[in-house]
Amino acid sequence: MVGKGQKMIRVTLNVNGRDYVVEVKPHWTLLHVLRDQLGLTGVKYGCGTGECGACTVLIDGKPMTSCLVLAASADGRKIVTIEGIADKGKLHPIQEAFIEAGAIQCGYCTPGMILTAKALLEKNPNPTEEEVRRAIDGNLCRCTGYVKIVKAILEAAKKMKA
Amino acid sequence: MPLFRPKEYFRVATVGEAVSLLKRFGGAAAILAGGTDLLVAKPPHVEYIVDISRLPLNYIKKGARGVRIGALATLNDIAASPELREEPYDVIARSTWDMGTPLTKNFATIGGNICNAAPSADMPPSLIALDAEARIIGPRGKRRVLLEDFFVGPKKSVLKRGELLAEIFVPRAPANTKAVFLKKGRTSEDIAQVNVAVRLTVDDGLCKAARIVLGAVAPTPIRAKAAERMLEGKGLKEISQIMVDVARKAAEETKPISDVRAPAEYRRSVAEVLTKRALLNLMERFGGA
Repeated sequence: MVGKGQKMIRVTLNVNGRDYVVEVKPHWTLLHVLRDQLGLTGVKYGCGTGECGACTVLIDGKPMTSCLVLAASADGRKIVTIEGIADKGKLHPIQEAFIEAGAIQCGYCTPGMILTAKALLEKNPNPTEEEVRRAIDGNLCRCTGYVKIVKAILEAAKKMKA
Repeated sequence: MPLFRPKEYFRVATVGEAVSLLKRFGGAAAILAGGTDLLVAKPPHVEYIVDISRLPLNYIKKGARGVRIGALATLNDIAASPELREEPYDVIARSTWDMGTPLTKNFATIGGNICNAAPSADMPPSLIALDAEARIIGPRGKRRVLLEDFFVGPKKSVLKRGELLAEIFVPRAPANTKAVFLKKGRTSEDIAQVNVAVRLTVDDGLCKAARIVLGAVAPTPIRAKAAERMLEGKGLKEISQIMVDVARKAAEETKPISDVRAPAEYRRSVAEVLTKRALLNLMERFGGA
């Protein structure tokens, strides 16, 4: 049997402001636990090797690929997923900007893209186009060609300052 | 096919705890720092994970004797560190630029980049060029090894059972020292087909010390010592004249292999070009070209 004799680890994951106590296997990734244990399916599995950014979440404020983070090692960290950024049903300004700019096609990259943008705008509320492009270097989109995504993030920056 | 199914996970609070687990489990243990290599490789032989990510080894400190970089400093920490803006330490920050994505660099550590001992790793050439040393803690206490002597072969370092890389120490560079790092990969995220760091220390118009360190062209990062000797003692003007020969000599000292990323001949040829460009860059910055 796969995983026989593996010792479970009890961890507390703080996800979107709420503590979840879960039992995880040593090899489970944060991505796996978020999707399959906590039902937060906004975070996507893409490449599984940290190259595509579809599984991006914020960990202590920084965007990271959750496919390369062991759930056990995320114990006690503050994790934010796409489900956690709207405010009582009102979309986050970056989410609004993505819709308005038509920056979403298939949508698979969108959660990661938006979370990376959120981390960028928190650190740098007034980025240049170049800085936006550099920030999303690790989030691949195979539909849009990035033009509308970059536009949406720049528009979101304006919205958030207003 | 066997899968990555470790039996047990340990998160350690002290270096001593890490050392004792690593000693107990030996080759069945894997160290987890950032995890950006471990969770891509997912080696099936790993039975125990020793998570060192909470140890207080995430720092970059500059003192009178040099710069100390904790093994858990992330590549983004290094890229943004105010301690690594000044010449020649800026070359350490520069070495992180063409590695991985901004997302993985938020948790990939310098210790992991070194200890995985990939011949193509981007951090070692600059650090070797600055005569950095690895500070190791193990069951028998602490020891120091010049980073140049740290690598034994692909994925093999001098680390023995129970030992942990705790810190990289970069000694204070003599005045008038500049260094440059150049990399050629297929894309900016991909690992190097060839990388090179060159460091020159100039005194009174003469080259006092030279380092040419090449990666991905031998089983470990290598110093091109014969090429370095061609530079030492020479004036800047003379160096400008012999640059092409120095670069050719450096390329001759490589022992590249052919693999999925590049054929050996290409690697040797790129090693020559990058060394020449690195020297050109330094000559311009020293005002000798």
